[in-house]
Amino acid sequence: MSHLGTTNSSLNVTTLRELARKDLKNVLDSVRGKKCLVLDPNISGPLSLIAEFSLLKDHGVEKVGYLQQGPVETELRSLIYICRPQLNYMRYIAEHIQHHQNEYLENPLAQKYEYTLFFVPRRTMICQKVLEEAGVFGEITIGEYHLDLIPFEDDLLSLELDNTFKELYLDGDYTSIYYVARALMKLQTSFGLFPRIIGKGDCAKHLADMLIRMRREVAVDDPSPLSISQSVDSLIIIDRSVDLITPLCTQLTYEGLIDEVFNIRASHVEVDSHVVGPPPTTTTTSTSTNSPSQSQPTLQPQPKKKKIALNSSDKLFSQLRDLNFAVVGGVLNRVAKRINDDYEERHKAKTVVQIREFTNKLGGLQLEHQSLKIHTGIAEEIMAYTVTPEFNKALEVQQNLVAGIDINTQNEYIEEMIDRHVPLTQVLRLLCLQSLVNGGLKQKGLEFFKKEILQTYGFEHLQTLLNLERLNMVSKQLSSTRNPYAYIRKTLRLIVDDVEEHNPQDIAYVYSGYAPLSVRLIQHATTKSGSSSTSNGWKGYEEVLRMLPGKTFDEVQRQEEGTIRSKRMAQGQHPRVTLVFFLGGCTYTEISAIRFLAQQDEGQREYVIATTQIINGNSLLNSIMSSCH
Amino acid sequence: MSPHPATDWDQLQDRFYRKQEIYRMSWKHMDLSKYMIAGAPFGGPIAMIRDDKKVLALQKQQPVKPTIYLYTSAGKLLEQLQWDKGRIIKMGWTDVEQLVVVMEDGTIRLYDIHGDFTQFSLGKEAKDHLVIDCQIWGTGLVALTGNFRLIALTNFEEPRPRLMADPKLDDPPHSWTLIPPQYTLSRHVEVLLATGSTILTVDVIETQNQFLQQGPFTKMDVSPNGKFLALFTNEGKLMVVSTDFQKNLSEFPTKAQDPPQQLVWCGTDSVVLYWDKLLLMVGPFGDWVRYPYDDAIYLIPEIDGVRIFSSDRCEFLEKVPNVTEEIFKIGSTAPAAMLFDALEHFDKRSPKADENIRSIRPELADAVDACIEAAGHEFNQVRQRSLLKAAAFGKTFLESYNSDRFVEMCQILRVLNSVRYFEIGVPMTYTQYTRITPDALIDRLINRHHHLLALRICEYLKMRTDRVLIHWACAKIKKSTDDEETICRMIVEKLANKPGLSYAEIARTAHKVGQPKLATRLLDYEPRAADQVPLLMSMQEDELALIKAIESGDTDLVYLVMLHLKRKLPLGEFFRIINNKPMACNLLEVYCKQQDLKLLTDFYYQDDRRVESANIAILESYNQKDLTERINKLKIALKWYQDDKEHSFEAKAIDENIKLLQMQAQFEKEMTNQRLVGLSLSETVHKCIVERQHNKANKLKSDFKIPDKRFWWMKLKALVEVREWDELDRFSKQKKSPIGYEPFVEECIKATQQSEAAKYIQKCDPAVRPGLYIKIGDFRAAAQEALALKDIQLLREIRSKCANQIIAQELDAYIAQVTAK
Repeated sequence: MSHLGTTNSSLNVTTLRELARKDLKNVLDSVRGKKCLVLDPNISGPLSLIAEFSLLKDHGVEKVGYLQQGPVETELRSLIYICRPQLNYMRYIAEHIQHHQNEYLENPLAQKYEYTLFFVPRRTMICQKVLEEAGVFGEITIGEYHLDLIPFEDDLLSLELDNTFKELYLDGDYTSIYYVARALMKLQTSFGLFPRIIGKGDCAKHLADMLIRMRREVAVDDPSPLSISQSVDSLIIIDRSVDLITPLCTQLTYEGLIDEVFNIRASHVEVDSHVVGPPPTTTTTSTSTNSPSQSQPTLQPQPKKKKIALNSSDKLFSQLRDLNFAVVGGVLNRVAKRINDDYEERHKAKTVVQIREFTNKLGGLQLEHQSLKIHTGIAEEIMAYTVTPEFNKALEVQQNLVAGIDINTQNEYIEEMIDRHVPLTQVLRLLCLQSLVNGGLKQKGLEFFKKEILQTYGFEHLQTLLNLERLNMVSKQLSSTRNPYAYIRKTLRLIVDDVEEHNPQDIAYVYSGYAPLSVRLIQHATTKSGSSSTSNGWKGYEEVLRMLPGKTFDEVQRQEEGTIRSKRMAQGQHPRVTLVFFLGGCTYTEISAIRFLAQQDEGQREYVIATTQIINGNSLLNSIMSSCH
Repeated sequence: MSPHPATDWDQLQDRFYRKQEIYRMSWKHMDLSKYMIAGAPFGGPIAMIRDDKKVLALQKQQPVKPTIYLYTSAGKLLEQLQWDKGRIIKMGWTDVEQLVVVMEDGTIRLYDIHGDFTQFSLGKEAKDHLVIDCQIWGTGLVALTGNFRLIALTNFEEPRPRLMADPKLDDPPHSWTLIPPQYTLSRHVEVLLATGSTILTVDVIETQNQFLQQGPFTKMDVSPNGKFLALFTNEGKLMVVSTDFQKNLSEFPTKAQDPPQQLVWCGTDSVVLYWDKLLLMVGPFGDWVRYPYDDAIYLIPEIDGVRIFSSDRCEFLEKVPNVTEEIFKIGSTAPAAMLFDALEHFDKRSPKADENIRSIRPELADAVDACIEAAGHEFNQVRQRSLLKAAAFGKTFLESYNSDRFVEMCQILRVLNSVRYFEIGVPMTYTQYTRITPDALIDRLINRHHHLLALRICEYLKMRTDRVLIHWACAKIKKSTDDEETICRMIVEKLANKPGLSYAEIARTAHKVGQPKLATRLLDYEPRAADQVPLLMSMQEDELALIKAIESGDTDLVYLVMLHLKRKLPLGEFFRIINNKPMACNLLEVYCKQQDLKLLTDFYYQDDRRVESANIAILESYNQKDLTERINKLKIALKWYQDDKEHSFEAKAIDENIKLLQMQAQFEKEMTNQRLVGLSLSETVHKCIVERQHNKANKLKSDFKIPDKRFWWMKLKALVEVREWDELDRFSKQKKSPIGYEPFVEECIKATQQSEAAKYIQKCDPAVRPGLYIKIGDFRAAAQEALALKDIQLLREIRSKCANQIIAQELDAYIAQVTAK
């Protein structure tokens, strides 16, 4: 039923899912009888990874709706809300209740509604205050649903917090760091203390400090000191602000491009149904017909869209996802040929035994066939996008920028993009990239672009521009300082010239030549030097790290005295898992690049990636832009 | 040599009972008949106050004012409380050993063992009609009022008195009792009222008549497990029925006319009745035994027996536990008895020891277990030891016996013996200990300030010592008269090597007893910032509370403090506190943007944050429906930006924005049915061209200094959109296109106007022409252009794409031509 736990990972993340499932059952059972579930739209995706719709049904959920403005229409009298502690949601809920109360005034014989509200991951005073001010606090029973790190894959966990980057760096709202710290503490209680915490970035440092502080505090409740993890050797925290270049580049892996073109949400993607052909007649697990959001056609009518699950239960997809897109066509071709050959075998089947063997294989074959159809469809759609001159021109500009070649034609191209009135995110992706790699833009050019953008996309984007400047994503070039990116690029070897997409030798394949800075840092942090069993951290790269924004840290967590050293440690077995945490989100390409590192290490080291959410250049910029509307 | 254990047993039918003396009372000349008494179960203390209904000879040392005395089971005075309130109706004890005192007017006080109390009332009903009786159990009580209504209170922690169903009585009940919620089917408290000859069962919702005829019942009591009810009729009959009144279990005629003064259960199988100087125990099968006393006694029922207080001693009456009976019954041949016997023989070096062991070999393990358990049930330490010795002896003959139980029992007995010591005076049995758990025992000990013993027990049983230490520290603070420096040092020294110990509770105590400085100092040691915050807030340490909340990283806590401060302080003061704390400021901004723009405006203003002030004004302007209002708001923003030289660009942008809005409004008036306000400048230009308002578009271009390039793009796109091909043509010839002519071709192709596109291909750079021709499908033209370029590669490409035979031939010719040269 779940694709998790199929690989031989040293860190068994399925327990997290089981825990979340159990909690969800308790949440649903807390209200007796039939009920209507009202979900935060941003939670429903992640929730579908925790539990299938039938589980909700088994626990009395008759109807699922989204938490939004406007009244909830349901005959059911028990409502369970599950949402993040956001103020706007509280206002919606208050509206719902007031609406019902008005109904009740008109018809006093009607049965009263019962409201239960579960906050994810925890209740906040500030939300309760909004409910109080709206005068509905007394009507609601309030609880908490501690959903934090959601396992997407055996090596990938996400908190699915939206907009963390904007909250952390633009608003200075560190709530998400607190949630992350609590989630990581939970990991430490189940998998043991992370012996070492390395990281880069101011918010990352804040997180590390909080982790160390929480460890001290947790002793108040639980006297047994945490023992050192037997599986995890270090936690690397990478702060998104350290590397903004990577997400701004166009992802060139298969999964990355799916995200760029179709936008993946909670490991599901919605595509036009014609892309993937008619629905299969055979039962198939690759399409998620069970997700709660799909079972609600009345609320979100999207008849022509089809939701496809992208995870490792789809064998073909797990083969394709991390490849450079250039290679995908060939692989699809080979698979198609193999499946065809396999089908042809039926002609060779002569004896009854052979025929039975074939029919036994048939189910798997049809499944494979279905998945092939889907991915061929998606790949074609992506192909159509990647052959356009706009895509190629933008890609060329972008690759020149990261490689540090030529400036003038790039400005011209960006200007033309504005003139053509292409979506603002695309313009900003290049503009920010240019500013970041060149240590800012020349004043004249900057003002020109700003004016062009305001006149073309509206003056309300003045705030967007101010936000970008505040985040240093667009800045004025100062003549006094030299551009640090050139040095960083050279020292960290970010540009790899001859990338063999078919047989990659370096992580740079994910961007066809540019190695993501963030992953390079991780690579250097985990590389062992010589014979020593532990890595040196970032020794030797101090200069580069100094040039990147934010603090650098390397903390060792020691076991308290008196705890017994584990047998494995005593036997000299060293933990092999490195936990990488991206604070502020990571891209699919970065995930692919880290998986590539794991492969390169040939089982010597495993990586588990955890992130606040998965982002790309568009979603990153959108979060910054949305604050002005 | 002590007498044989079974000598003082009394047999009732097939079972034995024993009454053991536990303590000689420390008190002197106590006449229990003159007191109203309440005893706490689980070997707890007893509270007594002079019963004002009984005559007492005035004695010299007797204080005139009524006093509640609290004694341990050993008769040691724990505390005396001066009573200065109204008439006491009833006293009782809660599960956490708080003394409940119910007064006539419905006031209830909960005392801890040191006389600190909290007080609340049962409400108006009780006040108006007065409380005439009350029944108390571990977590709640039911009061009977003068108008014969019942008021239930089920939780002392959060007292919410609730009127129960009206039993509609005209006279007081003959007797009454209750079944605690944990023993009823409904999980709510049920009251049993004896009226007439029957009993009424009352709960919150309804009254149910049980239609009994044997009444009136003058005395009743529910067994400790809530299953049985003992009833005493006015004919002197003792009846036992099940509490659901489905079964009559036994009847016993006592021949007594008067109801007993006390009627309680001894464990769950026999009932003890007390008349003046006579104690009668009636077993389940009508057998009985009587114990005469010289003076008044008081009975406290326990889950496994009954504690009997008399003027000189404290005794425990219980059914002899099965294992004990097995071992010590005269003539018993049970394996455990044989084992116990074997040890005696062994000590006497008699070979019979071996014989005994051999005879019980198969059951030896059970025999060892039985001896261990029997040891647990003994108060007598000599006997505990001999039973454990027998067990240890038996163990040696077993190859693989798990000694955990043995070790555990030794530990438990050590603990029990230490708390039973008369100075401590908690005569807890093994059964009681396992029921209330070691944690509860520790709580009781620290409540009595036996901190050292509690600490030792914790260490011995490997339990957490935190709460003992915390309680000790709190008690120290309450009692101590030393200066804060000394107290602080003393506490910190004692608690120093306990990492993770929470100081918040200790600090709170210091704050409560009026030692704010000490509280602050202690709070500094609290490892959890989050726990420091609430206390700091109540100590009015506002700024420190905010700092600690920020330190905790819990943003919600920061909000808690901030909103508290905002309510409490004048705005200026509030801003002053948060101004130098960036995280607080950030969070305030986030909150205000969603909930309170007005506050945000004030906040920015006082801090002279012009850019932000301007942005708020802009934000507000977008929320305005009315254009003038909108422009006014923008003008405010403009002023903010103009004050700041660093932001001349922004000032200019807003100025342009205002100008645009004004022009859009103007144009809207001139054009019919067009919405322009809200569009961007480019969109406005586009709309003007689409609406064929070229003058307006040109005016916008010049007024806003739109670069030629962009203007051309906009015009091109707009004209293609409305398919004005002639106008496009004219436009293209206006002057040399600043964007070249490729865009013209492309846009025409997008609009599927190949012939229009072809017009502009000729204007393009020769190098790009072949490609453009291919795009519109004109291979011949493409071929000619390629030929002009002499591009053999291109010609071949065109050839491969071309499907038309004739053109293909022409191409072949061209290719030949170029290659020939």
